[in-house]
Amino acid sequence: MSAYESPIREPLVTGGKTYHQITRDIVRSTEGMPPLSWFAVTGLAATVLMLGSLAILYTLWMGIGTWGLNRTVGWAWDITNFVWWIGIGHAGTLISAILLIFRQRWRTGINRSAEAMTIFAVMCAGLFPGIHMGRPWDAFFIFPYPNTRGPLWPNFNSPLLWDVFAISTYFTVSLLFWYSGLLPDFATIRDQAKSKFRKLTYNALSFGWTGSAKHWQRFESLSLVLAGLATPLVLSVHTIVSFDFATSVIPGWHTTIFPPYFVAGAIFSGFAMVLTLMIITRKVLKLEDYITIGHIESMNKVIILTGSIVGIAYITELFMAWYSGYMYEQYAFYNRALGPYWWAYWIMMFCNVVSPQVFWIKKLRRSVAFTFFMSIIINIGMWFERFVIIVTSLHRDFLPSSWTYFTPTIVDIGIFAATLGLFFTLFLLFARTFPVVAMAEVKAILKTSGDTQKQRHTEHVDDGHHGGGEVAGVLRNKA
Amino acid sequence: MADKKYWKGLEEINHASTPKKTADEFPDELPVISELGKADALASNRRDFLKMMGFSVTAATLAASCEMPVRKSIPYLVKPDEITPGVANYYASTYAEGGDYCSVLVKTREGRPIKIEGNKLSKISKGGSSAAVQASVLSLYDNYRLQGPHIEGEEVSWRNADEAIKGELESIAARGGKIRILSSTILSPSTKQVIKDFIAKYPTTKHVVYDAVSCSGLLSANEVTLGKRVIPNYRFDVADVIVSVGADFLGTWISPVEFAAQYSSRRKVTKTNKRMNRHVQIESYFSLSGTNADKRIMVKPSEENAALLHLYNAVASKTGGQSVTAGQLDDQHKAEITKTADELVAARGKSIVVCGINDVNAQLITNAINQLLGNYGTTIDLVNYSKQRKGDDAAMNELVSELSTVDALIVLDANPVYNYPDVDNKLKQGLEKVKLTVSMNLKKDETSEFCKYLCPTPHYLEAWNDAMPKNGFYSITQPTISPLFRTRSAAESLLKWSGTDVSYYDYIRDFWKQNIFPKQSRFSSFDVLWDRAVHDGVLDIEVSGELTVGNIDAGSAGAALAKKSGGEGMDLVVYEKVATRDGKFSDNPWLQELPDPVSKVAWDNYACVSKKTAEKLGLKTALNKINESVGTETDLLTVSANGYEITIPALVQPGTPDDTLAIAVGYGRDIAGKTGFIGQNVYPFLKYQSSGISNIVSGVTATHVAGKTFKIAQTQMHHSIHDGLNERRIVKETTLAEYNENPFAGNEDRAFVQKHLKSLYPPYENLKNGHHWEMAIDLNTCIGCSACVVACTAENNVPVVGKDEVRRSREMHWLRIDRYFAGDETNPSVIYQPMLCQHCDNAPCENVCPVSATNHSSEGLNQMAYNRCFGTRYCANNCPYKVRRFNWFDYLGADSFFKGTIFDNDKDPHEMADDLTRMVLNPDVTVRSRGVMEKCSFCAQRIQEGKLKAKKEARPLKETDIVPACQDACPTNAITFGDINNEKTEVFKIANDERGFKVLEEIHTLPSITYLTKVRNKDKSEA
Amino acid sequence: MDKYIVGLFNDDEKLMKAVEAFRKAGVAIHDVLTPYPVHGLDAAMGLKDSRLHTVGFLAGASGCLFALGFIIWTNAVSYPTNFGGKPLISIPSYIPVTFEVTVLSAAVTMVVAFFVRSGFSVFKQPRIFDERTTDDHFAMIFETNDKNENDLSKIRELLKHNGAVEVNEKSFE
Repeated sequence: MSAYESPIREPLVTGGKTYHQITRDIVRSTEGMPPLSWFAVTGLAATVLMLGSLAILYTLWMGIGTWGLNRTVGWAWDITNFVWWIGIGHAGTLISAILLIFRQRWRTGINRSAEAMTIFAVMCAGLFPGIHMGRPWDAFFIFPYPNTRGPLWPNFNSPLLWDVFAISTYFTVSLLFWYSGLLPDFATIRDQAKSKFRKLTYNALSFGWTGSAKHWQRFESLSLVLAGLATPLVLSVHTIVSFDFATSVIPGWHTTIFPPYFVAGAIFSGFAMVLTLMIITRKVLKLEDYITIGHIESMNKVIILTGSIVGIAYITELFMAWYSGYMYEQYAFYNRALGPYWWAYWIMMFCNVVSPQVFWIKKLRRSVAFTFFMSIIINIGMWFERFVIIVTSLHRDFLPSSWTYFTPTIVDIGIFAATLGLFFTLFLLFARTFPVVAMAEVKAILKTSGDTQKQRHTEHVDDGHHGGGEVAGVLRNKA
Repeated sequence: MADKKYWKGLEEINHASTPKKTADEFPDELPVISELGKADALASNRRDFLKMMGFSVTAATLAASCEMPVRKSIPYLVKPDEITPGVANYYASTYAEGGDYCSVLVKTREGRPIKIEGNKLSKISKGGSSAAVQASVLSLYDNYRLQGPHIEGEEVSWRNADEAIKGELESIAARGGKIRILSSTILSPSTKQVIKDFIAKYPTTKHVVYDAVSCSGLLSANEVTLGKRVIPNYRFDVADVIVSVGADFLGTWISPVEFAAQYSSRRKVTKTNKRMNRHVQIESYFSLSGTNADKRIMVKPSEENAALLHLYNAVASKTGGQSVTAGQLDDQHKAEITKTADELVAARGKSIVVCGINDVNAQLITNAINQLLGNYGTTIDLVNYSKQRKGDDAAMNELVSELSTVDALIVLDANPVYNYPDVDNKLKQGLEKVKLTVSMNLKKDETSEFCKYLCPTPHYLEAWNDAMPKNGFYSITQPTISPLFRTRSAAESLLKWSGTDVSYYDYIRDFWKQNIFPKQSRFSSFDVLWDRAVHDGVLDIEVSGELTVGNIDAGSAGAALAKKSGGEGMDLVVYEKVATRDGKFSDNPWLQELPDPVSKVAWDNYACVSKKTAEKLGLKTALNKINESVGTETDLLTVSANGYEITIPALVQPGTPDDTLAIAVGYGRDIAGKTGFIGQNVYPFLKYQSSGISNIVSGVTATHVAGKTFKIAQTQMHHSIHDGLNERRIVKETTLAEYNENPFAGNEDRAFVQKHLKSLYPPYENLKNGHHWEMAIDLNTCIGCSACVVACTAENNVPVVGKDEVRRSREMHWLRIDRYFAGDETNPSVIYQPMLCQHCDNAPCENVCPVSATNHSSEGLNQMAYNRCFGTRYCANNCPYKVRRFNWFDYLGADSFFKGTIFDNDKDPHEMADDLTRMVLNPDVTVRSRGVMEKCSFCAQRIQEGKLKAKKEARPLKETDIVPACQDACPTNAITFGDINNEKTEVFKIANDERGFKVLEEIHTLPSITYLTKVRNKDKSEA
Repeated sequence: MDKYIVGLFNDDEKLMKAVEAFRKAGVAIHDVLTPYPVHGLDAAMGLKDSRLHTVGFLAGASGCLFALGFIIWTNAVSYPTNFGGKPLISIPSYIPVTFEVTVLSAAVTMVVAFFVRSGFSVFKQPRIFDERTTDDHFAMIFETNDKNENDLSKIRELLKHNGAVEVNEKSFE
């Protein structure tokens, strides 16, 4: 059981936690009255959501003419926001699935809330394909259901249809993956609960989990296979989203490197958003011992990697435009950098390509404040990446006669605000009611990656008769 | 009924052996028996229950379902045998508005006119039409029309109005008071006769003819030269060299539809006919003709006279004419004009010079040039002279000055209060003094506001009339719908008031019998002639008697003209827009929505300035607009001259001379009906000078309005075909010289492109058999007049979105005319490209629609299923030609709720969805609802109609069976449509022409529209 | 009236040793409850391997075949339509949906199977042998209804000897 881990690796759980302490630390955040600050923040998020919803209702009533779109720019903020949210939604599943397969122990501290974030992000994303339609009330046309019109089926050649399948599959699988992981922890909360009501609720939520060996066996095999499925899935989702553009004929969209480039970008923005949330959560819920500087640093490393991939992608695009010798392609990129939307392009370039490179400096990589700042910058940058791809490609395509310019209306902005409101409202509710750290998983790695336990490994103390917790206690007394 | 006993015969009752009905006919266990048995015992039974339930459920459903508006549809009691519901009828008729003439076919459905088409039988309009003609059907259903006669704003009966007016007229006549009839040009000989009769009845009457944009200079000049106040019959179709000095003969001058047809008939170059006419335009603003010219000489408005004089001298020096003193002109222009003169002289007798300057001397000089070139009798026919402009500025001026002493003024289809340069308010003050004022017009207008009596006239589609646009060419206007309102044609009113109680129809018939029947020999009986005339809409009769050209005193004319040439400071040139013309129809939403071919601006007039002038005036926003091409924001200018001042948006328009403002008339109507008040009125800038109202004003001051900008509704921003990196190969052009050497000239790259077209998939075989619809558009004969755009709007129920939406680039036109500039920035050459759905066989839009709402028909049509579309707009994004149009709002009130409340969620700024206006909708084409994508369908409904027609007649499809609206409207036959799989069709030939190319062929969308390279008649030096 | 002996451990390795000991002694273990998955425990207890992944594979495979078949049927048989000149069966553009359906059916079926086989449900009221088993203790459960007193004492003895921190009796109605 206590697989040996190199002492050079820094501990993933600090503060010499015992199993029980872990339990208490996590369960505590779900107990008792939330602090006023929580109500304040949640209230704010909810208000933004309400106000934004007015914009949505107005759109539904009047039509999407209330947006800034025109005959040439048929998509702008709607699909920009959609792709942005979907991108953010990639971190969670990536962390829990791919890192699980790669046996990255540091994922245990953050996977739970990262997955939650994924779910909420995908919810926000899902809103846009719905309301961006001219006739949302006919949305059911998209499903291949038998009908009296022939029957007339959807067009399986259309990337938008692929999207529908990709997003819904991704949402479902993430949800299942996340929830099955929650069962043992809900059981823990249940058993920690004093009040009858809490016991009943959390028992229901835990589906009557007891931790029986057979259940654990199934649980393990389930999560392993789900991880196996989710890994190609998470890659496929943004690949398919990128097909919306890559399979088109529009210069600036019609680009074969989009799939890897989009996936990298998604992970990039996803990790940034995870950092934003984690840094707040660990502070507010006092989880510094579980989400350590080590965790932050590991994520920053992923950010450098993906950020650099994105940067290379941008440069490749430019090179290919020139190398293709295709005048429309060339102009599309000339126009991105120097056309009327030059500012958007350079914001994107700075935020996504230049800024993450500072993480090569270890000091900055390990600075919480700086990381937080960077995570915001990167999310802004990634929003602009999508905006640049969509709008600057569309507004000046083949025929100069139909070139136009896009400016958002208040409604566009309101709807984006609504999704932000929705996202944070959901996450804040999650933080107060769900176990934000996967207790069972952390306990499972405590012996190998807990600080005191590692220490003992190095001291070659025989731990035959003591549980990790006790020893930890002993050592603390020594010190 | 159960106890009632039925018996077949006595046997049955008497012999017990015969089976008992109830006993054996049905075995007992069958429930029905018991039911019958119980029937009277039970109040209700299972069936009743079912009935009750069925009823109540249905009732509940109906009650619960949302309330539907009640639409009564009343069947014919006795069906008129010519009307078959669902089948269109066509009636020949005539569009004659203020001298504009077009012979038309009126398409009616279930008895209502819905579309105007050209009449191929007419030797004048040759089946062509103009934007205004196409849009005229909409004015029929205008909810702002007068609905009955009025006396001082009170609606009255015709009888009362007649009595009152007649009474007043008689009393005035009795005491010898002045009676004046003021009308615009009247083409109807009968109406003219009516007026003569009226004058006979009231001898103190004078008939003053006045055109807002008049040719009175030309008429007076011809009075001198030809001895008759007429316009000669210009024959652009026989001219090799055409020189126009400020005359927009393709867009607005006298008879553009006719001239365009003649002009373009000489520009259809093919391998066999490699000759085309040469067109030189000398002008001071960018007119439609100017954009089509092979050579455009751009002069300041005040230099036009000088330019004309130089042209005269240059011609005279080579043809032995006397030279005259010419005004100042810079050497470059002189050189160009001299060169032009050489071309003219070289083409002696086969050239033509026209002049748009409304000045008798200018016109005399023009006549002199034509005389020196010997064009009279060849390119300028003097037999079938034209009567399409009769306006007499001098007479009008006289009327205005004597108006205060006039007792009765009958205004017939004229609107001087709006369009007469009434600088010192003489007109308005005079009008107030006139005792009897009668307005005979379709609607209220600025003038009718001053009139005591309003006697509304019917729309031309509602009444009988006739026309004689040219000597020997007659045509008939026949009603295609009974008058919608209590209106009466002006002629009929005049007849009534002059005491002849005869219907105008009988009057016309009688007039034709007396005056036209005797002049011809083709028809033995008048009834045959009449029926034929009504059926064909036109009647041509041989006329003789050529006008003789007297000798012209060019010297004095030149001297007088030279004085007027050259002006200091800024010039203003006032012009007519191709669509809205003199402003009479500027309240027609279709015409306002139509972007001007040159500026691409809709819904406004504006001051065109050159880039240099813009810099001089400090119009930063306007300049930024063209440099950055961002948004539609532009600067405002304050323009003042002749004591009149307006503030108007500025537009940097290439092709405008420096220190020049070009502003269109026809805007700033106070009473504008559907469109509301738009633009600024510039008529008041003009001034009556010795011989006429010139459209050129010198010494204008223009100042930039600081800190204020204006959003202009421009559908195409200032992009040249060169995007800053490359020359885009979207439109192709060459010169005649190059074309003659190599028929592929300008189109050389096509072979390369075609060689490299590769596809992952095999070609779609079934498109090669059966029909495959394709279109061919000749960029060489397309003059950009935009008649097709309005025709398409009318045919396909394309919504009008209004100024605000056009500003947001949301116009809905399925067919647009792309205008590209090329070459020199100050005086560029222009190329027009009609752009519509290309019906690609590898359509990018089809692949991306998630719900199969757009897909490919087996006949190669890219079809839209509107009710399947839910509006993701992916197709529009993925369309390389950007021809797809999206219903951002509910523009036609198709599915909006709470009309008139704050919850009203439709977008109908110009009342296009009100019940009367909706009558213009084409029942064969779906009215699209909000959130639906739409685009050109190649007039699928017409294709279907044509196929069915051929099928019914059990014969193969003829090319003439299917004519899309745009092709039908085109005055220059630039558009050809047909089946590419049939090698005998015209479209097949054109598609395989050396000049043929497809737009963006290299992206392998396989478009179904072939464009033909534009050929400019330039020599090497100019090219 | 079900009676159980609950032996509590506070360390997973001791638990493993105990489990092996009991296997040797041939005492049937009713169940073992742990706060987190203890690797190798199922093997030590001699549990059969889970067959969930087989379920997943079968579901995925059938989902894949169904999706591809359905798409081809809709566009080539049921309502043949020409989209942008693509052939009626253009496999490349059918791959994404096929893949997604595969994943979806595999995942959903597995989770359902997991819940059903483990008898999980919102209304399930599990027998809580000791609340600490989801916190920091590991419990071995023995059924005692069919056992006589010395069997029981033997079990207690074995538990103590293998380092159980507590040995309790638990009975349910």
